[in-house]
Amino acid sequence: MTADMPPARKTAFAGMSNESFLTFFMIGVLVVLFAVACLFVPNFYLLQNIINLFANYWFVIILGIGVTFLLITGNFDMSVGGVVAMTGVLAVYFCQGYQVSQNALANGLGIPYGAAVALALAGALGIGALNAFFIARLKVPSIIVTLGTMMIARGIAQVVTRGAQRNTSLPDVFGVVGNTFIPGTSIKVAVLIMIVLVVVAFIVEKKTVAGRRTYLIGANALAARLSGIKVGRHLALLYMVSALLAGITGILLASEFKAGLSGRAAGYEFDALVIALLGGVSIAGGFGSVLGMFVGAIILAVVTSSATGLLLSPDWQFTLKGIVTFIAILAQRLALDKRKG
Amino acid sequence: MSQTVNVLEIRDLVKDFPSVRAVNNVSFDIKRNTVHCLVGENGAGKSTLIKVLTGAMPRSAGRILLNGEEYTPHSPKEAKQKGISTLFQELNVVDQLTVAENLTLGMEDTRFGFLRKTGKIAKMVDVMNSLEPSIHPRMLVSSLSVARKQIVEIAKAVATESDIIIMDEPTAAISEGEIARLFKIVKALREKNVTVIYISHRLDEIFELGDYVTVMRDGRHIDTKPVSEIRDRSELIRMMIGKTVFEQYTPKQEACKDPILQVRNLSNHKLHDISFDVHEGEIVGFYGLVGAGKTELARAIYGVDEYEGQITFKDRRLAASPDKAIKAGIALVPEERRSQGLFTILTIRGNVPVMNMKKISRSGFVRASEERAVTQQYIDKLRIATSSTEKEASKLSGGNQQKVVFSKCLFADADLLMLDEPTRGIDVGAKSEIYGIVRRLSEEGKSIMIFSSELHEIMNICDTIFLLFDGRLKATLRNGCDIDNEKILHIVTGGEAT
Repeated sequence: MTADMPPARKTAFAGMSNESFLTFFMIGVLVVLFAVACLFVPNFYLLQNIINLFANYWFVIILGIGVTFLLITGNFDMSVGGVVAMTGVLAVYFCQGYQVSQNALANGLGIPYGAAVALALAGALGIGALNAFFIARLKVPSIIVTLGTMMIARGIAQVVTRGAQRNTSLPDVFGVVGNTFIPGTSIKVAVLIMIVLVVVAFIVEKKTVAGRRTYLIGANALAARLSGIKVGRHLALLYMVSALLAGITGILLASEFKAGLSGRAAGYEFDALVIALLGGVSIAGGFGSVLGMFVGAIILAVVTSSATGLLLSPDWQFTLKGIVTFIAILAQRLALDKRKG
Repeated sequence: MSQTVNVLEIRDLVKDFPSVRAVNNVSFDIKRNTVHCLVGENGAGKSTLIKVLTGAMPRSAGRILLNGEEYTPHSPKEAKQKGISTLFQELNVVDQLTVAENLTLGMEDTRFGFLRKTGKIAKMVDVMNSLEPSIHPRMLVSSLSVARKQIVEIAKAVATESDIIIMDEPTAAISEGEIARLFKIVKALREKNVTVIYISHRLDEIFELGDYVTVMRDGRHIDTKPVSEIRDRSELIRMMIGKTVFEQYTPKQEACKDPILQVRNLSNHKLHDISFDVHEGEIVGFYGLVGAGKTELARAIYGVDEYEGQITFKDRRLAASPDKAIKAGIALVPEERRSQGLFTILTIRGNVPVMNMKKISRSGFVRASEERAVTQQYIDKLRIATSSTEKEASKLSGGNQQKVVFSKCLFADADLLMLDEPTRGIDVGAKSEIYGIVRRLSEEGKSIMIFSSELHEIMNICDTIFLLFDGRLKATLRNGCDIDNEKILHIVTGGEAT
């Protein structure tokens, strides 16, 4: 994995910031991995398969946007998976017909679709506000707070679905957004939304004052405060945005399956974290990018799908993700150390 | 034991740092069972000498003899084994454990990995009780005052048969009543066969406590004398400052304009009833020794720490938060450059504009070309030694890093600049450049507050000098030819202003 950076090319990277260097490095890793997969896995090179690599990971990438911004400030958001489940379940529950059946799980509140979605997103923002309050105001470490809100959000999903799912007596409109395809293709609208969000996030991160603040807080929170940055307010904003993105993901997934599952998106908070780390985002803060996270996601997609293609049992997926994470992070370390001297 | 035998002999000791010789050919003796005081201004080389003695730093040259034997500690632990313990300002006790547990910490008796109750604890408790009977061994250390924690540490040092205990400003953080108790204990240590090396900025303590005193200045050993042979404070102060020639300060010709900052009755946990004015275009200096409250005063004005009292800036009450202070036109160059002022992992370009992002952005979007131009402008203006705007701040020298922090504050378009230890840890050349910048800013009409523990820095550039001691404003002096540095040292070491 480290071999794709011959010393002769090093000079071309000399003027680059460490961040761009790492992003290019990980793109290099991705290209090598893809080539290897094409050699060994039948039909891996087909366009449809490449599209699937993106299409099957859109939800983790959307979650990864909020997680990446927060990691850059030096904070975690482990609540996103729970928020996905909670928002989906709530949207379904709000939208289901009112007293239409003997089965409690088929009865909802009968709220019109648009209002139901808005209310469910408000619920997601509520979790974001909890995170913001404890982390930005009370200064409790983010890992503890968001593990707590992760369980609260998933707990709400469990209670509302009685530990199962709600999938009946939903209006047809509920399934539309998750099952619409871009005309002439087999690509879901959700994938398009993901790409738009990534582009917007990239612009915010690189071009705006808000993006700068994110890096400044991560680089040195105390100096940021003494330089007049409202650190608490900015963190609160990021937690709200992250929760909103998770909420949108929850709505899209619930629509795709026309169901609200309490167990939806279990472990996605870790996937979002892993792709950010694969993309070179530093847990210490102040370093990383949304683009890197995107590349990290595709790397993970290539590895897991080629492993499936090689008839490795899906049971191996977790182990494989772990191994890839370790190798990628070691490779980044080595590449950066080599660059420094 | 007699007091004529040398317990420690220091011979031609030298400690070099990259840009400065902190300890310069120092030789003196310390006699057994005495309280030996070490005094000198900030930067005289006391701390460095202590660090070499305790093994925290290697020496560059010279010899140290402990009880007549060559002594070269490689770590504080080794120093302790050889009989030199240190009571640092940051105490080395574990709050969550009991007194007894702290006493035996690191030398517990065990069997198969389990702790055993042995005579060791009893012995240590005995020693502690002989020093201070009111401390119970089962008490949690967190429930003790700072002074009592110090006693626990002293007891531990005595019980482990230390020959020498070094005390670094032990009275800086404790109350009057507790100081008296500490003094009693220090005096009692003589009978316990312990030599004390006592460092303090409070000169009265030396006369009360010391048997001998060693004065250091600019890294050199000035003199070592029995305290009884020193007439009074002024003689000691003269030894400390010597015949330093200050760079000539030229008083401002014009009379001062309107006040821009008015502080009235400012108090908080560290400050007591401070009131003063700063005028437009004026350079004021706050001088005091470590712990006098300089940084706390800067932090209160800037809105970092809470306070009571009133601060008026440009005829309006100043809100207590850094972002509002900056908006009103105040900028702070903080005390700790790397941890409070600089974003070390970002580039120079990432640092310079942060206090005034509005100026380089339009509707929330950063204008990259303006950002680079501004950064380059400050690199030229302050002569920051770098090859480009994209150099990582951590890779600059201390002086250049400080210039980046200055650039940040200048770009904020502040009318009042607060500089907390602006030249700490930077070389002589960069220092005089920074003084030049400060003078130029004052000529442009900006007001400047300098918080410094270096007297010559204050006397060199400040129009008005405020003297702080123990969180109180003790005196206000106009700088000029009649300024008397002996009087200044008299006041900031706790003497009464006349």
